[in-house]
Amino acid sequence: MKLKKILFSSTFITIVWIVLLCSIWELEALHIEQIKRTPEKVFPHLMQIFESIADPKIISNDQTSIELVLTNAYATLERAGIGFLIGALSGFILALLMKFSGIIEKIAFPYLMLIQMIPILGMAPIVFAITQDIGVSRIVISGVLTFYPVAANTLAGLKSVSAENENLFRSYSANVFQTYTKLYIPTSIPFLFTGLKISAPLAITASILVDTLQGGVGLGCLLSQSLKGGMSPFVFWQIIFLSAAIGILSLQVMVIAEKIIMSHKVRWNREKNKNLI
Amino acid sequence: MKKTKISFSGVLLPLAFGALVLIIWQTELLHKIIGTNTFTLPLPTTIIRIIGENLDSISANAFDTIEVALIGLVLGSIIGYLISILAAIFPKWGSGGLKVIALLSAIPIIALAPVITNLTKDFSTIAPERSMFAKIVLVTLLSAVSMSVGVYRGLTDLKPFSEDLLQTYAATKFDIFIKLRLPNSVSYIFTALRVSIPTAIISTLIAEYFAEYITGVGRQIRENIITSQYSTAWAYITVACAIGIIAYMFLVLAERLYKKKKHKI
Repeated sequence: MKLKKILFSSTFITIVWIVLLCSIWELEALHIEQIKRTPEKVFPHLMQIFESIADPKIISNDQTSIELVLTNAYATLERAGIGFLIGALSGFILALLMKFSGIIEKIAFPYLMLIQMIPILGMAPIVFAITQDIGVSRIVISGVLTFYPVAANTLAGLKSVSAENENLFRSYSANVFQTYTKLYIPTSIPFLFTGLKISAPLAITASILVDTLQGGVGLGCLLSQSLKGGMSPFVFWQIIFLSAAIGILSLQVMVIAEKIIMSHKVRWNREKNKNLI
Repeated sequence: MKKTKISFSGVLLPLAFGALVLIIWQTELLHKIIGTNTFTLPLPTTIIRIIGENLDSISANAFDTIEVALIGLVLGSIIGYLISILAAIFPKWGSGGLKVIALLSAIPIIALAPVITNLTKDFSTIAPERSMFAKIVLVTLLSAVSMSVGVYRGLTDLKPFSEDLLQTYAATKFDIFIKLRLPNSVSYIFTALRVSIPTAIISTLIAEYFAEYITGVGRQIRENIITSQYSTAWAYITVACAIGIIAYMFLVLAERLYKKKKHKI
């Protein structure tokens, strides 16, 4: 009975899927190994990649390959983070403004739709050309990409407030500030997180892409260097795995943050109800 | 009367705002604000003139991009739909598998593009062909992910009690699938497409950056910036935006037609 419970738990199923994916990877790696002269460039074994992470050989500037990758990842992550924060904050403020004023909503809404349809990542080189500074353009692109999902989702959240609640606040003669802090903003928080979950991996993709445009520090710079060769091919694979991990982690961080904040909200409500009783 | 007033301000205000931005741009006030020059940020009239002058090469590159994005999107959507049907038939294993797939979708496109380019080198000895194949594979993968995750929700999030109702009619699992789950998933296809159409275009542009063979709107943006021909790059950016907007308009139109038809029934 207990065994059956474990066998059908969702964690077990997820693990089986991951094992399955890894074995497909290994089969492909075996296949590539037989037909290619330099298989580690095309498709290495997972084990080889992990071994290369532990490899203590120094490859540049007194750093082993994984140290090199990690320093660059830090630079990328930092700029993606700044852009993400700025974009999320301005998206949230715009959504509030759009809720507050019908005129602003009418002006901004069509352009908000437009931003979504424009391939902003494709514009990375031009933003770089205008700002002339790779750090600034990374922040700008990450910010713009974060901006749309956050603004659109928050606005949807602000609009989902029911008429009954609005009327209740009006009958309490709550002022605008109170209505926003106690009704609109709390209602929009779950929607805000939907937006943040979409945009966190995007902000990191943006930061890496902008990196590839110029030398310097950053995962993308290292990626284009390793693609040109001259470095151990495993640096390339470490970058791929690390950026995948960062992308997935960024999503998970948002999921955890949402859980913490939402559980606070639930507990807070419960305590308030207790006091009422 | 009131209705015309609403649409009047709803159309006129954004248009006025757009016109204002264009005027600021054309009179070079925008350049002063963000501290740049007409060389890196050419005037709108210059961009339009350049599009007119290079219409042949621009449309050839745009055609390549659209071809890749469209083939990848269609293939990926079909594959994604089939995956979600499989997942709905075996919900226990399916939802776990989709969870893993959704996690994989957080992997940056940039990390995938070079891997796929390397893997598909043997597809053909002709560089344009294998390069196009690699791009299509990437777009297909990404479209399949968003379609499968989106449609799975449509196949399983049924109206409360509708499944119970059919069960009381002694409907078989197959009947429930055909008469309830499949129709329910159609509107979710549009929601999924809303995500996957922009993704398909963006991933095509990025795949072009890493592709072996130099073609497509995305690659031209980059190549022209590397050679400091900013006005030509801007012409390609305008085209890329136009592709995105037109694709989205087609989707909105299709969705509206579908809703109208459904409403009639």
